[in-house]
Amino acid sequence: MEEKRIGVYVCWCGTNIAKMVDVEGVAEEVGKLPDVVVSKNYKYMCSDPGQELIIKDIKEHNLNRVVVSACSPRIHELTFRKALTNAGLNPYMFEMANIREQVSWVHTDRKEATKKAKSLVTAAVARVAWHEALDKRKVDINPASMIIGGGISGLSAALEIADAGKQVYLIEKEARLGGHIADVDLTFPYMVPAAQILGPKIKRAENHPNIEVFKEAVIEEIFGYVGNFNAEIKANGSESRSLEFGNIIVATGLKPFDPSSVDLHGYGKLPNVVTSIEFEKMLQSGKIETRDGKEPKNIAIIHCVGSRNNDYHEYCSRTCCMLGLKYANQIKTALPETHVYEIYADMRSFGKGCEELYDATAKRKVMFLNFDQREGIPQITKANPGDCCEMLIDMKERLSNTQIEVPADMVVLLVGMEAREDAKEVAHHVGVSKCGNDFFIERHPKLDPVATTTDGVYIVGSCQGPKDITDSVAQARAAVARVLAAICQESGEVEVTPAVVNEDICCGCQTCVNVCPYTAISYDEEKNVSVVNEVLCKGCGTCGSACPTGAIRSRHFTDHQILSQIKGLMRTEMQEV
Amino acid sequence: MEATDKNAKPKIKMAVYWGSACGGCCVSVLDVHEKLFDVVAAADLVFWPIALDIKYKDVEAMADQEIDLTLYNGAVRNSENEHLAHLLRQKTKILVAYGSCAHMGGIPGLGNFHDRETIFERVYDTTESTVNPDKVRPQTETKMKEGILELPEFYNDVRSLDQVVDVDYYLPGCPPQTERLVEVFMAIVTGAELPPKGSVVGALEKSLCDECNRKKTDNKTIKEFHRPIDIQDDGETCFLEQGVICMGPATRGGCGARCIEGNAPCRGCYGPPADAPDPGAKMMSAIGTMIDSNEEEEILKIVDQIDDPAGTFYRFSLPGSIIRRKIL
Repeated sequence: MEEKRIGVYVCWCGTNIAKMVDVEGVAEEVGKLPDVVVSKNYKYMCSDPGQELIIKDIKEHNLNRVVVSACSPRIHELTFRKALTNAGLNPYMFEMANIREQVSWVHTDRKEATKKAKSLVTAAVARVAWHEALDKRKVDINPASMIIGGGISGLSAALEIADAGKQVYLIEKEARLGGHIADVDLTFPYMVPAAQILGPKIKRAENHPNIEVFKEAVIEEIFGYVGNFNAEIKANGSESRSLEFGNIIVATGLKPFDPSSVDLHGYGKLPNVVTSIEFEKMLQSGKIETRDGKEPKNIAIIHCVGSRNNDYHEYCSRTCCMLGLKYANQIKTALPETHVYEIYADMRSFGKGCEELYDATAKRKVMFLNFDQREGIPQITKANPGDCCEMLIDMKERLSNTQIEVPADMVVLLVGMEAREDAKEVAHHVGVSKCGNDFFIERHPKLDPVATTTDGVYIVGSCQGPKDITDSVAQARAAVARVLAAICQESGEVEVTPAVVNEDICCGCQTCVNVCPYTAISYDEEKNVSVVNEVLCKGCGTCGSACPTGAIRSRHFTDHQILSQIKGLMRTEMQEV
Repeated sequence: MEATDKNAKPKIKMAVYWGSACGGCCVSVLDVHEKLFDVVAAADLVFWPIALDIKYKDVEAMADQEIDLTLYNGAVRNSENEHLAHLLRQKTKILVAYGSCAHMGGIPGLGNFHDRETIFERVYDTTESTVNPDKVRPQTETKMKEGILELPEFYNDVRSLDQVVDVDYYLPGCPPQTERLVEVFMAIVTGAELPPKGSVVGALEKSLCDECNRKKTDNKTIKEFHRPIDIQDDGETCFLEQGVICMGPATRGGCGARCIEGNAPCRGCYGPPADAPDPGAKMMSAIGTMIDSNEEEEILKIVDQIDDPAGTFYRFSLPGSIIRRKIL
């Protein structure tokens, strides 16, 4: 076996890591580990000089393995793998230890953080010692694409790809295309009717020769990899169809927050407390009226329902403020005498034309009342029979610092957006990760916002996080650019990670045959061993963990690699015992 | 006679020692039957407590590396086992961890599901046949008027031999198959090329299923686990496919599948194949994939049917496995 020569590079990430971790100490300590030939620290490893440092050392010190201890491998693993390739090393002879997201950003004790960083780097060194050179495989890219979700994002993407002359399979769960926008009256900030935006798109999509629309569709299964996906789709209750395509755009959208759980707002109990969804319907019908058909004299619009509140969702739903302003304008236009109260926590009118709409709304005698989420949310109660209104909203107005009662005949709750209940199912089908709020996670929040960690799978629109139409369409078109680029190249590289069977050890127990989700394993009766079909195998590793003999290995995730990593991680702990 | 032949190769010096063991390994050495003549023709047994009256001090008096081959059986449970492990390592050229206990801890290794205190409590206080009102416990030193009496110290952990001293080879089994011992022994005395240090010898690369003659299919789906006594074994179908836990897939072959031939599932005494460092974990992962349900409650019910899972999956391998012991 060749001598192992490992180079370790500890990144400061400016002050991001260095402020909480003694990077010099870590580099020095790790330098003492067996097989470590050089161990250095540097301000920005991902910068060009940082990468150059690695390349120079590989050549000068004859390194054959490299560890970079910096940020998450999701951000820069590819960067450093490329550096290895440039230096003539196989890119898989690399391991990354994440001491930023997993250490410096989450700890407050410098000594403990430094200790943890040492453990993580030691683990990476122990693992990289067992790394093996792996190749990439060239695969043809099927020019067809599957788009999951027929809302504004999915429609925009579908039309753009279809217009470029490529086949699109557009999968919609509901009986109609259009998604949530179909239930919207006017759009902010320019008050363009949603139907005007959506209608032509739906019509075009349904009649486009390159788009096949599946409504009331259920995805039974998706398997394969970039360029070569297969899916079983059942639409309209008919027989399931097999589709083949090369890329997937996930545009599954969102679900409005259900305010029933917010007791103080009385939704579901007070008849004239309605959600923004219900109010849109009212606007679409052209009649703003209470349940008993009266014209409301006072309408209150409550912001941040289910959003920016630790009891519900911590995040901002991004569209509700503008929606609230849009409502105030629509109400003032339809019912000029009606008092409108915007009961808001913070007004967030960012974006082109949005602050202008805020300003214009303020000039229309709309009353803006501010509340502090930390001090509780406005409470809605039924007014007394003698009162001039149907309901009273009890709140502490922050700017005047007074407890006030706001009269209301109708209350509109600006409900936030949340991830759909079937997000988990979709994530499983296409192999994307979800954040804590169940929105799908992009490959890089800034530099790669529509790709995912699964090659060939893109996320657009509100399935990635709350978004307005403008941003959703921009994302959809960004994803299309990526998909068309892949199609243009006609072929792409995939990681070769199919499982391998060591025939000297495999005993033919066939435990692996049934566990393979891709039916890639069969049993060779003559040799009494299992055989992996490399074309079907996706390298998921299920067989490797099921194999009781250790005969099946998942490349780059072998038992030796993982166990060495664990031992490395526990090294300091073990010494202390 | 061969023994008086002046041209005959000089005899090798051989020792057999039992650490924390049941005696079965020593008996397996005797089980060579008539081959014993070949053994004594080629080797002088210089130390073998079960058969010969040779004292520890006699071993201590030997020169370093004077013994050519030591078969150390048994786990390391107490200070006496440990002392002899070090002593024999010093005096021996080729030290073989002989049998499951020396190899991975074996049955005594199940003591690592407890600690010294809980074991003493059970043995000296709570067993149904114990009367010990003064709570007397074994002491390493007891002062009597005649002098100090000593007992080995009972350790908290059971260890495999290689967790105490450097081991040259492992010959697994509970006990090892005598034929395998003879093969290994003859290889050493005839000066055949020996495998790399640290190898498992006298066993196969492949796991037991490879030499098991039962019918195996990919139909390993289990709705119900059974103990062997609970089923009407058809004598032909893979035990796992009948819902009986058989450690065969996670166990090295080489025993000749003798338990299976006797219609009993494999218990795992030959230890894991080369690339499966933790047979218990490997087998649990495999069993996990066989459970035929996706409902959490049903899965729990099915898993509950496994009698003594820790003892089943780690019957012979607890100290030598990754988890080593239960933390109490």
